[in-house]
Amino acid sequence: MARKTVLIDTSLCTGCKACSVACKEWNELSAEKTQLLTSYQTQNAFTTKTWTYMTFVEKYEDQKMNWFMRKAQCFHCADPACMKACSSNAITKTESGYVVIDQEKCIGCGYCVENCPFGVPKVDQVKKKSYKCTGCIDRVENNLLPACVNTCQPGALSFGERDAMLTQAKKRLAEVQKTHPKAQLYGEKEMGGTTYLYLLLDSPEVYDLPVNPTVPLSLTLWKDVIRPVGTVAVGGAAAAVVLGVFANLFRGNYSNSDNKEGGKD
Amino acid sequence: MALKMETRNQMPKRIVEDKVLRFSAGERLSHWVHAISFFVLLFTGLGVLSTSFQPAMAIFGGIQVAQLIHRIAAIFFVVVVGLMFFVGNPRYHWRWLKFVFSFKKSDWQHVCAFPKEFFGGHGNYPEQEKYNGGEKINSLITIFGTIFITLSGVVMWFASSFPPALVRWAYPVHDLSMFIMTAAAIGHIYLGLLHPDSRAAMSGMINGYVSTKFARAHHREWYERLKKEQSMNEQKNV
Repeated sequence: MARKTVLIDTSLCTGCKACSVACKEWNELSAEKTQLLTSYQTQNAFTTKTWTYMTFVEKYEDQKMNWFMRKAQCFHCADPACMKACSSNAITKTESGYVVIDQEKCIGCGYCVENCPFGVPKVDQVKKKSYKCTGCIDRVENNLLPACVNTCQPGALSFGERDAMLTQAKKRLAEVQKTHPKAQLYGEKEMGGTTYLYLLLDSPEVYDLPVNPTVPLSLTLWKDVIRPVGTVAVGGAAAAVVLGVFANLFRGNYSNSDNKEGGKD
Repeated sequence: MALKMETRNQMPKRIVEDKVLRFSAGERLSHWVHAISFFVLLFTGLGVLSTSFQPAMAIFGGIQVAQLIHRIAAIFFVVVVGLMFFVGNPRYHWRWLKFVFSFKKSDWQHVCAFPKEFFGGHGNYPEQEKYNGGEKINSLITIFGTIFITLSGVVMWFASSFPPALVRWAYPVHDLSMFIMTAAAIGHIYLGLLHPDSRAAMSGMINGYVSTKFARAHHREWYERLKKEQSMNEQKNV
C-alpha cells in the first residue's frame, strides 16, 4: 500500500472535539476524568487511553485575539525515534506510513516515551505496555477512513495518497496565507515527513510544537555507536581470553611448577 | 579521623610464615557483593539489550521479574559496597582509593608490558606496589563505571521525575558503562582463574592471603615495605 497522509487543516477546525470522541469509540478507549485547563482545553498530554485531543491557544496581537486550535495525535514519522529506541522490536513502520506498536512484544520499558520528540507514547504501568494512536490502520487497510477523519464535520481532516495530499495542502496554504501570512505546513519534511501533516496558522512554537523535531542525538549515539562498538569490545575481550588460554597452553605455562605458587623470583 | 582509625584498628600482622595478608575481610566482602550483584545485574539487564536474550529471561520468571531483580540487585551493588567505606574497618577501602588514584611511571611501565604477560609471555617492568598498573586500571574502571552506571540507573528508574533530555542521555551512559565494565570483568576473571602466572592471586580474595612467593614475584615493592614495617613494629614491641 502506497504512502498515505492525513492533512489537518487547522484553518478549518472548529475545535468541536468530535475527533477525540470518534477515536475513543472506534478504539474502545474508556473516557477519563478531565477538567478545564484553559477556557476550552481539557487535556494537555496523551494518556494510554487518550490518543488524540484538542489544544487551544489564545494569542493576542494588536489588541486582537487569535485562536489557534490543533488536533494532537501521533505524527507517524517516516523516521520514527520511538521505533529506533524500542528495546523489543515492538514498534514497526508500515509501507503506508503508519508507526504501530505490537503490544504482544512490548515490555513497557518506556524508551519510546522518553525519545519521542512529541511526547506521544504512554506506558500503562499496570499492563506494562505502551499505547498510542494507531492511525486507525485497521480501518485504513480495509479501505475505511480513519475514525477521526471520518467524523470531522468542518472538513478540517482529509485522507489520501501522500502526493495528492501534499498538492492539496500546498494549494490550501496559498489560500490561507492571504489572511494568515505566517501560515505554514508542518510535517512535510519534519522527522523525514510525517503521515499526519499539518497546515498551521502560525509558527509551530505558537502551538507548542518543536520547531525542528529530530531523532535525539543521544539515541543515535546509543544505538548506532555505543551498541555496536560495545559489542565488539566485549567480544574482543572474550576472544583475547580464549587466545590467552591457548597461548599459555602452547607455551607450556600451565605445567610449569614455578607458576603454581605464583611465579619465580 | 584516619589516625584514630589507625590506632583503634590494630594492624594485624601482615606477613605470617609463608603468607601475606593482602585483603581484609571487609575488602573481600565488598568485592564479592559487587561481583555477584554485577553479574545478576548484567544477566537481568540482557532482556532490554537485545530481543535475542528475551527468551532467556524465562529463567528469572519473565522479563518483568527480571526488571524487579535488576532493581533489587542494584541496591546491593551500590548500598552495601558504599557502606563498606564507612562501617566496620573502612581504612582498607580508603587506602585502596589512595593507591589506585596515584598512577605513577612504574604503573605505566607495567601496563606497557601487560599485553605480553596476558598472552603468557614475560614482559619487563619495575617492581610493583600492592596494586600493579593493570590492577589500578581495573579498579579505576570499576570505580568510574559504578558511578556512571549508578547515576544513569537512578535517572532511568525514576524517569518520570527527570527531564526527558536527561533520561535520553542516561540510556547511552548506562550501556557504555556496562560494556566497559563487562569487557574489564572478562579480563579480570581470566587473570584470576585461568592465567597460569597471575591466578595465584585468587586466594587473596578468598581467605585474604597470598603466598610470599607470589608477593615477591609480582608485588616486590609492597612485600619489602610490609617486611620493613613489620620488623620495625617488632622492635618497638620488644
